[in-house]
Amino acid sequence: MDDKELKALWQTQAQKLEENILLTRKYAEEISKMKVQSALASMKPLKIFTIIVGIIWVGFVDLLIIGSWQSGSAFFLVSATIQVVLSKLALGIYLYQLVLISQINLGTPVLEAQEKIASLKASTLWVARLLFLQLPIWTTFYLNAQMLKQPLSLFINLLITVLFTWAALWLFFNIKYENRDKKWFRMIFEGKEWTPMLQSMEFLDEIRYFQKDEEYV
Amino acid sequence: MPIETPSQVFQELVEQHRGILFKVAKAYCSHEEEQQDLVQEMMIQIWQSLQRYDPRYKISTWLYRIALNVAISHFRKNKVHQRKQGTLQGQTPLSEDSDQPEKEQQLRLLEQFIEELKELDKALMVLYLEDRSYAEIAEIIGISVSNVATKIGRIKDKLKQRFSQQKISQNGR
Repeated sequence: MDDKELKALWQTQAQKLEENILLTRKYAEEISKMKVQSALASMKPLKIFTIIVGIIWVGFVDLLIIGSWQSGSAFFLVSATIQVVLSKLALGIYLYQLVLISQINLGTPVLEAQEKIASLKASTLWVARLLFLQLPIWTTFYLNAQMLKQPLSLFINLLITVLFTWAALWLFFNIKYENRDKKWFRMIFEGKEWTPMLQSMEFLDEIRYFQKDEEYV
Repeated sequence: MPIETPSQVFQELVEQHRGILFKVAKAYCSHEEEQQDLVQEMMIQIWQSLQRYDPRYKISTWLYRIALNVAISHFRKNKVHQRKQGTLQGQTPLSEDSDQPEKEQQLRLLEQFIEELKELDKALMVLYLEDRSYAEIAEIIGISVSNVATKIGRIKDKLKQRFSQQKISQNGR
């Protein structure tokens, strides 16, 4: 079958599809009259909600830090400060995603728009990395000088904090797409809420291969 | 001459180019109901992007970009669901009804071949079958003309193989 025959074959089904004129009219009228939301814009409300909750949370922790600045334990102040800084960074990622959503123009070339959409979803991995980085502070915020005067208590707390710090740093540096097939990675990102993010990363790879004129499998 | 409102411009535009939307939708989903949802989503996106239309490009180039971008995103969103249900479109067995006219069988084979392609290759194949020039395909997809030619050549080779396999199996029966 040559090119001409192939294209003619395709056009036979196209003729049937083009008969949908009434349906097109109905949709076009409805869309231009109503306030409708595209699938991409529908991602916005959840991001905005997360940002609002995040702002309330960091505001609350900021107030706690300011309120206990004079009298609070140094352990609490340092832990809360680290926590609030990491939360603000995570908030920054959500803000970046919101900006990306408004910047995506589907009238641009397919690869350009798809790369932006996939990067948007893949950036959620950064939120996970930052959340894990908070691990050690949950082992230190409640400590006080009195508790550390006993050698056994000091040893146990130190051991737990060192272990959590090691785990947090290890996860922060190793949670990346290249490790997606590792068992521990799959255990962490098993739920369906992570699937779009992982698929987007895979798609980013495909886009890069596609641009480079390599056959992707 | 009365000035057209954005709503009129939009309605005329989609009516005139509805073929683009329906054909792209058909390439990315096999169920009719889903195709209609997809066409609707494409039209919402066209309506919302109307202000951002760049007149440097042909209107068809812009419409193909929107239609394909919406279709690819939709396809990717539903991919997991389809995989879980075990109804991946490519797995649908091709009818071997010998009473079916040859043209109909070839069309089904072509449709099945397109269904099995990856989302970006699907876009290339649709544009090629739509008789778009390599230069326009390159503009729509965002790759070089030579890259378009190489990729389309590869896909066509696979398609030719598929057609000859089908012919051999038919002659063997």
